[in-house]
This record gives sequence, structure tokens and C-alpha cells, in this order.
Amino acid sequence: MSDTKDATLTPGIRRLHEGMARVWANPAGLGALTVVNHTSVGLRFMVTGAVFFLIGGLLAMLIRTQLAFPDNDFMSHETYNQVFSMHGTVMMFLFAIPILEGVAIYMIPKMIGARDLVCPRLSAFGYFCYLFGGIILTSSLVLEMAPSSGWFMYTPLSSGDYSPGRGSDFWLLGITFVEISALSAGVELVVSILRTRTEGMALHKMPLFAWYILAMALMIVVGFPPLILGSILLELERAAGMPFFDVAGGGDPVLWAHLFWLFGHPEVYIIFLPGAGIVSTLLPVFARRPIVGYGWVVAAIVIMGFISFGLWVHHMFTLGIPQLALAFFSAASMLVAIPTGIQIFVWLSTLWLGRPVMSLPMLWIVGFLVIFVLGGLTGVMLALVPFNWQVHDTHFVVAHMHYVLVGGMLFPLMAGLYYWLPLVSGRMPSERLGKWSFWLIFLGFNVTFLIMHWTGLLGMRRRVFTYDSAMGWDIYNLISSVGGFMMSAGVALLILDIALHFRFGRKAPQNPWNADTLEWAMPKPPTPYNFVSLPRLETRHPLWDDPELPRTITEGQHGLNTIDHGRRETWGSDALTGKLREVVHLPTNSWWPFFAALSLAVVCICLLVRLYPLAGVATLVAAVFLLRWSWENGAHPKAAPDATVAPGQPPLHSRTMNGPGVWTMSVAHLANGSFYLSLLFGWFYLWTVAPEWQMPETSPLSLPLLAGAGLALTLGSAWLAKMVRRLRRHNDSGLGGGMYLAAGLGALQSALLGLAIWQAGLAPSETAHDATLLVALAYVLIHALLGALLCLLQGLRVGYGFVGAEAPLEPVVVLRLWYYNLVVYWSLFVAVWVMPTLLGGAS
Amino acid sequence: MKRLLRMAHPIHLVVGPTIWGLWFVAIYAGLSVACSVAPPTPEQGMLTGINIAVGLATLATTVLLLGLSWAGVTAARRAGLHRECYFAFTSAGVYLFSAGATLFIGYPVVFLPPCI
Repeated sequence: MSDTKDATLTPGIRRLHEGMARVWANPAGLGALTVVNHTSVGLRFMVTGAVFFLIGGLLAMLIRTQLAFPDNDFMSHETYNQVFSMHGTVMMFLFAIPILEGVAIYMIPKMIGARDLVCPRLSAFGYFCYLFGGIILTSSLVLEMAPSSGWFMYTPLSSGDYSPGRGSDFWLLGITFVEISALSAGVELVVSILRTRTEGMALHKMPLFAWYILAMALMIVVGFPPLILGSILLELERAAGMPFFDVAGGGDPVLWAHLFWLFGHPEVYIIFLPGAGIVSTLLPVFARRPIVGYGWVVAAIVIMGFISFGLWVHHMFTLGIPQLALAFFSAASMLVAIPTGIQIFVWLSTLWLGRPVMSLPMLWIVGFLVIFVLGGLTGVMLALVPFNWQVHDTHFVVAHMHYVLVGGMLFPLMAGLYYWLPLVSGRMPSERLGKWSFWLIFLGFNVTFLIMHWTGLLGMRRRVFTYDSAMGWDIYNLISSVGGFMMSAGVALLILDIALHFRFGRKAPQNPWNADTLEWAMPKPPTPYNFVSLPRLETRHPLWDDPELPRTITEGQHGLNTIDHGRRETWGSDALTGKLREVVHLPTNSWWPFFAALSLAVVCICLLVRLYPLAGVATLVAAVFLLRWSWENGAHPKAAPDATVAPGQPPLHSRTMNGPGVWTMSVAHLANGSFYLSLLFGWFYLWTVAPEWQMPETSPLSLPLLAGAGLALTLGSAWLAKMVRRLRRHNDSGLGGGMYLAAGLGALQSALLGLAIWQAGLAPSETAHDATLLVALAYVLIHALLGALLCLLQGLRVGYGFVGAEAPLEPVVVLRLWYYNLVVYWSLFVAVWVMPTLLGGAS
Repeated sequence: MKRLLRMAHPIHLVVGPTIWGLWFVAIYAGLSVACSVAPPTPEQGMLTGINIAVGLATLATTVLLLGLSWAGVTAARRAGLHRECYFAFTSAGVYLFSAGATLFIGYPVVFLPPCI
């Protein structure tokens, strides 16, 4: 059903719908590459993720075919190494995270009563980074040069000496590229949830799914940068010989393990939380009562988000860490069972106190409960150090991991798929085919992985490509392989079901499951603008409390129901109370995200084939595209040149000083800060732990140059802060000149810092000390250049009239970057100059 | 800024786990550095400066978190708005969990030597 075809609408309302459809239109053909709308981008993420799931599944079947019989020569060991490495990599990085991001990107605005995410072009950019990164990574399989060191790429196995081919480079560059996508989604989901909820939707009234996604997005923002740093360092080691992980050069391979698992363990919860969010959304609908203990669930989400960062060493119990430290991580690993347990008891209580109905989505939820609880129990077993030592790197761990991830993510995802399918297609799913598919997958999964616990306990190591019949593992492996193929048959049936659904599914009613959340107030399939008018909501169950909402929304009876201005708009609201603060005007379809991602893909490929000059050129091109993209903002003719709003409405966000852009910059700096702290961790870790670390007697860096650069940065920040204070008083006299002065100070900082690096005469390919120092200094230099460049652009924008007393937001955003640079610069100065000078060449 | 200090502000949902996180990083990093720079002899058993320092940090953090949990309960009882009551109570629960987590994780200093 489309809004505009509704015969009951008055001509005026029909014109409103038509106007909305025109302003929010998605172009077809080649123009589809410019689409930025969250519904389209979310669907693209999900469909692409599903394709990668099939590729990962195919690789899994190759593994099970190889292991089905002893002494099998179906694959060589080289091929097997590539296949299992790519299976893990594809499933974790190209399927699990992106498809859940896709669900979040698609659902969140619909559930919180917004028309789009807060940075639609960033969504599109993220998607193309994901697509190109995924293609680059999987192309390594076709080229028979896929990574073969396992999905966590432990050094030194993945280093140049032991993996001299291009496989590790494909992984390091491809994954880093894909992670740009994850970070983009993470940042904008956080800001969208906090700042674009519909009027009245206070923080404690928003749907639980939004809480789960908020936690997931924040965890992505904080958790992914350590791996990005690790990947950059390892690629620098492989390509330029910088010995970060080479003991002889003063590095330490265990640093990689720390950086990887600092990301890798939270990643498990990043995957689980959206799954649990789907369960907490669906289960009350089918129990036909509100969830028991909303506050308990919120507390459990927060606790889980934090505790999951304190478990990373439990993947490293066999690395020779002191027993007391092992005990800390063992205890933390057991503790995470408490917030998980809270959620499970909340779900059981909701079922117990409700009037549950068993339908297809609910079947998948029950499957989830069974499998995930079993996976959680073996997780607590693995938290015990002595047991962990016994089963480390065996098939027991493989079985546990699949119980947690497939149980915690795939089953809820399937429940969500069947639940929200009517929203996407306007048709109901087939119960019969869906049930067949469920039982084949559920039984196939348990036949495969329950047995695998035994195989592991009998001593079968993970990643062995074959085994001798005398080991006694034959029958267990054969059963696991049969189960694997049974599961594949279930997946095939599921694909058939979905394909038939869009052609033969019966029409869905307005609210087919009698759900309580706002997305079911929308037309089906959804229009690009979601809601023609945005309702005021002060309840957690809008559709249960007001079943007339779909009609009143469609009739334009609520807020933001004008389109004459031609802008894409949604509400900007207070993060805590949901009171209206701004009208957020959203950017429209654009080629810039596509071109920026494409040029970054060229950078990635050039680095892969070691064409460094071309990589440099492509980086410059990407920077030009990104900056050109940023130009269309604020009062720019393609953004919002006319600031007029309807009477009674708050101002446009670009005409305020605390719009979502400020929040976006702050959340982006959380990610940036996580990257920087990981770098500092690396510096101190190698300094204190690496056996061959060489700290020079005196710092190679010139104090006058470093102090001069710091002074320029401090003066520039103070100057910029002064201009922002004047803008708050609506005084923009001398703003353009002031911006050029700040840009000059940023340029001076960059020049002095560049000179300090050049004068230091570092030998980064000889010692880990010099290599780490160079990376840290390059990091602050890039930030200094960026700060200067953005001020220069601001000066130009003031000249064009895009920024000023009437459009004061952008200088506030740029000031955040300068403050960040200030903190980073001086803390790094203490870490790399003051402390080594005071402590001397201690190690 | 003053607003953030009120126990009914949702920022307190994350303050407890953040304190826990800082304590956790401090004891792990401190233990690692101390064992690298000046490891005590194995004969000393648990009676080492490292264990005592970690133990004291654990107790201090636990007491702080328990105090904040109690402050949350008090604020919830006095809250005028449902929203304030909700966030104060939920934060109190998270503080209480963080206190328990601190004590549970730090407890092994009583029976394990630090650097073996």
C-alpha cells in the first residue's frame, strides 16, 4: 500500500504525500548509486550481507567435506588453510556485523519516529566501503591467494617471514576498509538514537531495540579502532619492514594478540546485542504483554557493554601470563554471565506472565533460547583457566563459538527476518516452508556442533586439515558433516521461501502481529520518508496505546507536515527528554559518497599491489572528494540556504550551536580516541614488555620544535574558542580572517612537527622504538594538517556566506577537532619525550 | 555540568562501569609493569607489595561504588519525576553490580602470588 494511492485522503493531504515523494525520491538506473536513504541503504547492507553469508556457508561446506573422512585428500592443506581462514573472516566481518548494521540502519529511524538517519551520506559511503572491501577480500579466493593464517591472523604466522604471499595483505587492507563502514554506521546510529527521536520520546521511553543498538554502536566505535591500528601496524611491518611484532627488532608478537582481542571479544557482544534486541522486541509481541523489567534489561545492556571489554585476555590464557592476571580475567569472564542471565530470566518471565502464541518468528526465538543458553554454559566452562588450557585450540572451542554466535545472532536474525518481512514486502511469510527451514537448520546445527564438543574433548585440534583414522574421531566428524549438509538444506529452503514470498505471499494487514512499536504505523512497503507526519509519543507501546496512529500519521495530523520548502527534514530532539530542539535538514542523494569510497578502493588496491605513488595520488583524490562532499552543508544552496521554518517550529539545526553535527564529531572522536589510546598502549607495552626494545639515552626529537608546534596548536585552539564564544553572542565580525589565522597556526604546527620528524633521523625499519614513534608522530601530523585545512575551508565558507552569525554550527564542530588535537598532542609529548627523558634508556 | 552530578542523570548508568573499567585497567597494567620491573621472589607468596596495593585499590573502589549505589537509591526515593526515579534506581543497580564485580575480580589477591 502506498500513501498516495489511499482513496480516503483529501486532495491537500494527497498533495503533501506527493510532495514528500518528490523530495525524498530515489533515482533509478545509474542514479541508484547516489541514493542515501536509510531504507535503501539498510536493504543493500542486508542483501550484500546475505550474499557473503552464502559464500561463507559454501566455504563451511568445503571444510566439512574435507573433514568428513580420515586421510581425505579433497583439498590440499594450503587450500584448506585459505578456506577456513576465509570462512571465519567472511562470516565475522562481511556477514555478521554488516547485516546487523543493515537491520539497525533500516529499523532504527522507523522505530524512533524519524525520517532518516542523521548522516544519510555517511550511510551510503559506509555501504560502498563495505561492498568494495568485501569484493577485494573475497577476490583473493578466486585469485588463489587468500589469507591462510586464520581469522585472527596471529603474528608471526601472518608476518612476512611465514606468510610471504599477498594473503595477509588482502586481509589487513580489506578488513580495514570494511571497518570504515562499521565505524560510519556506529557513529551515526549513536547520534541518530540520541538526537533524532520523535517529539516526547524520552530516553527511558524508547524501544528496547534502540537501547541495544545504542550499546552496539558505541561498542563498535570504541572496539574497532584497536584492530584498525593493529592492521595498519602489521601491514607497515609487512610492506615497509617496521618491526612492531618482530622480537629481534624490539617488537613483540603478543602485542598483535592484545590489539586483536581488544577488538575481538567485544565483537562477540557487538554481534549478540542486536540479536538480543530483536528477541526483546519480538517476544513481548508474541507473549502479548509488555516486557517484564525494562529497567533490568537496560542495566544488563550497559553492564554487558562494559564488562565485555574486560575479557579480552581470556583468549590468551595459554600465552604465559601470570596466574593472578589470569584470575582477574577468569573472574571477569564468569561475571558476564550475570547480565546475560538477567536477560534470559526477563524473557522467560515475560513468556510466563503473558499469553504466548507460537508463530514462525517465535519458533526461531525458542531455537535461540535453547542454543544460546547451551553456548553460554560452555562459555562459563571456558572461563575456568584449567579447563581452558585443556581444550584450547580444539574443536570444543569451535563448537562453543558457533553455539554462541549462531545461537546469539543467526537465530534471532531469522526471527527478525520473518517478523519484519511483511513490513518490507507487504506480504505474510509462509508458515509451512518457514517451519521446514527452521527444523532443518535447528537439527542440522545441533547435529554438527553438539557432536563437535566431543570431538574437541577427544583432542582434535582446530585447523588440522586431516586426521588419522587411529585417532578415533571418524564417526564424530562424519556426523558433524552430515549435520552441516542438513543445515545447508535448511538454508536453501529458506532462500526458496523468501524468493517465493515476494511473488506468492498473501497480503499483510496493517499491523499483522499486533505489535506495539512505531514501524508498524508505516505504509508497507515503506515510503522513503517513512512518516508523512511525525507523532508526539510518550509511551513505550505507541500502537497498543493508540491503534489509530497509522491513520492519523498518514492523514498528516502530526508534526513536521509541510514540504513546500523542498528540504528533507526530521526532528532534532533532546537526548534525555525528547523535547524538540531543532529541525534537522538532511542531505539528499549524491555521487560524493560513491566516488569517495571508489577512490579509497583504488588506494586499497594500489597498496595491495605495492604501487605506492599511485596510492598517494588516489588518497589525495579521495580527500578532495570527501572535502567537496563536506562543502554542501549548512547554508550552501544544495543544503538549506533559506532558514525559514513553519510557525512554532524550532530552528534549523545548522542555525544552532549544538546540532547533531557537534554530537557526530564528539562520537567520532570516541573512535579516534580509542585508536590513539591503543597506540599509546602499544608504545608502553613494547617499552615495558618487549625483550629487545631499545630506548635511546636521549630523545631523538628536538624539544624547541616540539614545544613550538604545541604552542602553535594551543594558540590556535584558544583563538578558535574565542571566535566561537563571539558567535554565541551573534557576533561574526572578523570571523573569516580569524579562521584564516587559525589555519595559519595549524599550518605552523604541521611545519614544525614535520621538521621535528625530519630532524630526528628515525630508522623505522630497524627498531620498533623508531617505528612506533614515527607512527605516533604521523598521527598527530595528520590531525594538525586536518585542523588547518578545515579552518581554511571555514574561512572560505564565511566568505561565501555559508557560515556566520546566522549559521554558526560549523566552527563549533571544527573546535571539537582542535580540542581533541590539543589533548592528544600534549599527552603524546609526555609519553614520547618527557617520560623517556626522565626515565632515560631504562630498557 | 552540575546537571551531570545529579544521580538522576542517565550519565550515571555508565559512571559505575567506567570506574570499574579504570580500576580494572589500572590493576592489570600495574601488575604487569610491576612484575616486569620489580618482580618479588616466589617465596614471598601473597604477602607482597603488589598484592597489598591491588587489594587496597580493590577495597577503595568497592567502597566508592557501594557509596554511589546508595546515593542512587536515596536519589530515587527523593525523585519528583518518574524519569528521574527510573534513572536513579537503574544507575544504583549498575553501581551495585560494579562494586560486586570489583570485589569478585580483585579477591584472588588473597590467595595467589602476583608474578608466577
